[in-house]
Amino acid sequence: MKSNASVVIIGGGIIGTSIAFNLAKLGVKDVVVFEKSYISSGSTGRCGGGIRQQWTSPMNVRLAMRSVELFKRFKEDVGMDIEYYQGGYLLLAYDEKEMADFENNVKIQKNEGLDVELVTPKEIHEKFPFMDLEGVVGGTWCPSDGHANPQIANIAYALKIKEMGVDLNTHTEVKGIDVQNGKIVGVETDKGYVKTNVVVNAAGGFSHEVGKMAGVDIPTYSERHQILVTEAINHVLDPMVISFKKNYYVRQTMHGSFIMGQSDKEPARGNDLGHTVEFLEEMAPKMVHDFPFMNHLHIVRQWSGAYNVSPDAQPIIDEADNISRFIFAVGFSGHGFMLAPAVGEAVAEMVVYGKSKTMDISNLKMERFKGKKISKERNVV
Amino acid sequence: MNLYQAVIIGGGPAGMMGAITLGNHGVKTIILDENESIGGQLVKQTHKFFGDHAHYASTRGFEIAQKLDEEISKNKNIEVENNATVIGIYPNNTVVYTKDGQEHKIQAKKILIATGAMEKQLPFINSDLPGVYGAGAVQTLMNEYGIMPGKRFLIIGSGNIGLILAYQLIQAGVEVRAIVEALGKVGGYDVHANKVKRLGVPILLNHTIVKAIGDESVQGAIIAKIDDKFQTIPGTEREMVVDTIAISVGLTPLTELAEQAGCKVEFIPELGGYVPIRDERMRTTNPDVFIAGDLSSIEEATTAMIEGKIAALEMARDINGSDTKEEIEEELRTLALFRSGPKSVKIRSGLEKMGIKISIPTKPIINEKKEDVIGKLRAVLECDEEIPCNSCEASCPFGAIHIGENLNSTPVLDAEKCTGCGTCVNACPGLAIFMMKENEEESTVTLGIPYELLPLPEKGQKMWGLSKEGNYVCDVTVERVVKYPNKTNIVYAKFPIEFKDTVRHFAFPKKESPIVCRCEEVSLEQIEKVIDSGVTDFEEIKRLTRVTMGPCGGKNCKLVVLGILSRKTGVPISKLSHGTSRPPVKPVEFSVFKKGGDDK
Ligand SMILES: Cc1cc2nc3c(=O)[nH]c(=O)nc-3n(C[C@H](O)[C@H](O)[C@H](O)COP(=O)(O)OP(=O)(O)OC[C@H]3O[C@@H](n4cnc5c(N)ncnc54)[C@H](O)[C@@H]3O)c2cc1C
Ligand SMILES: Cc1cc2nc3c(=O)[nH]c(=O)nc-3n(C[C@H](O)[C@H](O)[C@H](O)COP(=O)(O)OP(=O)(O)OC[C@H]3O[C@@H](n4cnc5c(N)ncnc54)[C@H](O)[C@@H]3O)c2cc1C
Repeated sequence: MKSNASVVIIGGGIIGTSIAFNLAKLGVKDVVVFEKSYISSGSTGRCGGGIRQQWTSPMNVRLAMRSVELFKRFKEDVGMDIEYYQGGYLLLAYDEKEMADFENNVKIQKNEGLDVELVTPKEIHEKFPFMDLEGVVGGTWCPSDGHANPQIANIAYALKIKEMGVDLNTHTEVKGIDVQNGKIVGVETDKGYVKTNVVVNAAGGFSHEVGKMAGVDIPTYSERHQILVTEAINHVLDPMVISFKKNYYVRQTMHGSFIMGQSDKEPARGNDLGHTVEFLEEMAPKMVHDFPFMNHLHIVRQWSGAYNVSPDAQPIIDEADNISRFIFAVGFSGHGFMLAPAVGEAVAEMVVYGKSKTMDISNLKMERFKGKKISKERNVV
Repeated sequence: MNLYQAVIIGGGPAGMMGAITLGNHGVKTIILDENESIGGQLVKQTHKFFGDHAHYASTRGFEIAQKLDEEISKNKNIEVENNATVIGIYPNNTVVYTKDGQEHKIQAKKILIATGAMEKQLPFINSDLPGVYGAGAVQTLMNEYGIMPGKRFLIIGSGNIGLILAYQLIQAGVEVRAIVEALGKVGGYDVHANKVKRLGVPILLNHTIVKAIGDESVQGAIIAKIDDKFQTIPGTEREMVVDTIAISVGLTPLTELAEQAGCKVEFIPELGGYVPIRDERMRTTNPDVFIAGDLSSIEEATTAMIEGKIAALEMARDINGSDTKEEIEEELRTLALFRSGPKSVKIRSGLEKMGIKISIPTKPIINEKKEDVIGKLRAVLECDEEIPCNSCEASCPFGAIHIGENLNSTPVLDAEKCTGCGTCVNACPGLAIFMMKENEEESTVTLGIPYELLPLPEKGQKMWGLSKEGNYVCDVTVERVVKYPNKTNIVYAKFPIEFKDTVRHFAFPKKESPIVCRCEEVSLEQIEKVIDSGVTDFEEIKRLTRVTMGPCGGKNCKLVVLGILSRKTGVPISKLSHGTSRPPVKPVEFSVFKKGGDDK
């Protein structure tokens, strides 16, 4: 562990390691990352791995589109195959109101240059004849959406940044941020103290707690989301399929297993809250109904992870204005994996140049919540 | 026409024992058998038989046949006609057979039919392709004629026959890719299943063969999972590259001759299908005709021999008035005791349908456990199934193994009395006895295993220690090889003590790296490579390689991976983090949760 750092990143999840990767790429030396457990122990290792550009907020669409560009190059850039697969995303609508929303969303998305289309039940049936589409009135389809293996992506970044000279410390917990006269001077960990003037909060589910260490009140909290994986079978399902109405998402991994989840009615607050049998009881009927072949498919494992939620379900990427150099990239509200490549790029630029260059992400600042009416991202499961 | 007092059709263990018994009671007897030599199924069997020590248990099948054959040739009352195929039984007890392209006719006062059974067929697509065999045909080719019909086998059916065939194939040096079983549990004895599992043959339960692939002969097979109605589950099909498919889905009695002789048959599935109706003493509905062995119920060589004897004793009474009453009663008692265990439930209920009741054993099954003595070289008995066998007890020169009068009991070791001689390891037909000694001071254990493969390893050699499922566990070093004349040798090897309950087989290292995680097919090399690349956290290794992430949830390989990690990093296993366990403990189908929970 170094005793001096140009930048300290708190959190070795996909966001923290992506930021470190981009800092190293920009030539920043003496970057130190602290991860209190192992790599991918946080939300990243528990997530569904979906990479979607079909959002309702233009900012999310742009960030996701930029990420897709970077995911396409991930293997060359970072050096590992992360099972990235552009199998598309299919969103299902169950009534006219939902369909009308979808039509509106497609307009917004097309406006950002996304190749996305409305599809009829007949077209869906032709693409995916094994699905039971009872009640479906239509949907949207984006062929360049896809998915990847988030755990391998996280570890790939970790191995790469070590190779690039970043000092990555796993099993090292940040206990405090040393702020003197409005200026960060160091970070205290359970393995020792590091001098630094720049700290990035990429603590995922613990973003609020780490904010408090620097005296910054970040309006995020964590809630439990459950997920399960099945045994592997031959490849049948290309896209991630989402139904907001029925409340599920599902995809088949390159390995052959299906990963799926929902939002519980009243998600438990906090980090690492275990799992419930009700989750299985709620998932089983709807999944078997829509995908009849799943009836005899075996569930191999269930688990849960935290969504780090912000008031408008969009990330908060900002630098504190009351102290000198505390930057945060938090509150991803269940879609931080897919945004990580673009967010890493933008935050690294913020650290080096004071603001992001490749993309304008200024409307992800915290000040958007001050007094104004919050316009919420709606396409969240 | 030649007149015999007794004609026996079929020279398997039932017929042979019948002949010996008749001969001993002064009855002129002839055995007709279609094969070149007598012995029936026994001739093909190179494994040691289970059963009652008094009935040749722990002797190899073909050796039992040789012993019986010797007795027969010594007995002047018995004539053996080989290559004699009986084609019909005609009025007046006339038995017609062909030999050397010629019809022969003989007449008998009494007839014992002991024609055994034939293999059941299994229909699937392309089941007529060359390369699809019955298990018996493979055994005949391999064990009698020394011809190996293929290099890579798929076996359908996990009854004792399928399991034994798999073991024999591996002994002969060919590959068995898998044993496929339609039911949710292994059909045969656990000990037989364990024997092949630790050699690395997976037994795929709830699976069936869908089709054989190939143009002119078998080049592969498609297997699939099946549901509880035996329907294949779409999407679970997978291809296996094999050149031979051996079917062993059960036997069914050969009743034709009995039917021709006017014996009534009935369909009793528990006994194997259509079987002739008979009384307790093996007499059919035709008073001159008796049956014994697999023809009367698909069972074992031991029971076939006892039945053959009972039938013969009753025939001798009819023929020359021999007083065999007490002998018969003694044999009936032995038979009842043999059939009193849990493995004979089917036979008992089948016989009951015929009106034959097996009296519940007067001798209770006892399986109490005795205190183990850690650190002393001693036997470890891993025989937990109540099967009728007592070869270990009979073999122990020091009286350290106890089964008692009911041979269905599982054996109990008195570790104090055990001297570590290894005789029982050598005698156990199930290869379910091991020798063990913990070397606490160096944190190793010495394990002795029964070893029936060739070539034998040598002292000092490095081998792979395999688990009960045949998965790589750790490297072992051979300490000693003890050779026995009956070819069950004992190989002793040493390895880290934490694997003392895990390692149960030693295999020569292969060129390709061993598979550590069989669910996800992750090799030792892959794991070591990841560790060498700087990933030393079990959780990260798991996510990069998928090891422990398969359906078994790491039950089989987690400790092995931790062992590798510990060896490479020098951190003891107890200090390594080992991941979190998450439900379900065993994979469950979605259908289980479809209706929502039922609160109890
Ligand atoms: C069930 C589920 C499904 C999801 N599905 C998707 C999906 O399909 N697509 C998608 O894009 N997103 C999905 N997400 C969301 C996604 O997982 C997260 O948005 C993303 O992983 C956030 O990454 P992160 O690096 O910010 O957080 P994390 O991965 O949680 O990383 C933060 C790290 O910080 C560490 N840390 C915290 N405090 C400290 C401290 N004091 N000192 C040192 N280290 C500390 C933690 O240990 C943790 O490893 C899903 C999430 C869940 C739970
Ligand atoms: C692979 C395998 C492993 C086994 N392992 C064990 C074990 O470990 N322990 C155990 O106790 N039992 C074991 N058995 C079972 C045992 O071998 C049988 O139960 C026993 O052989 C039955 O004896 P049998 O005399 O009734 O019939 P068989 O041994 O089948 O003999 C019948 C004979 O009749 C002949 N025959 C049939 N029709 C005619 C005809 N028309 N004309 C002339 N001859 C005819 C046949 O060719 C055959 O030679 C095993 C069986 C198999 C196949």
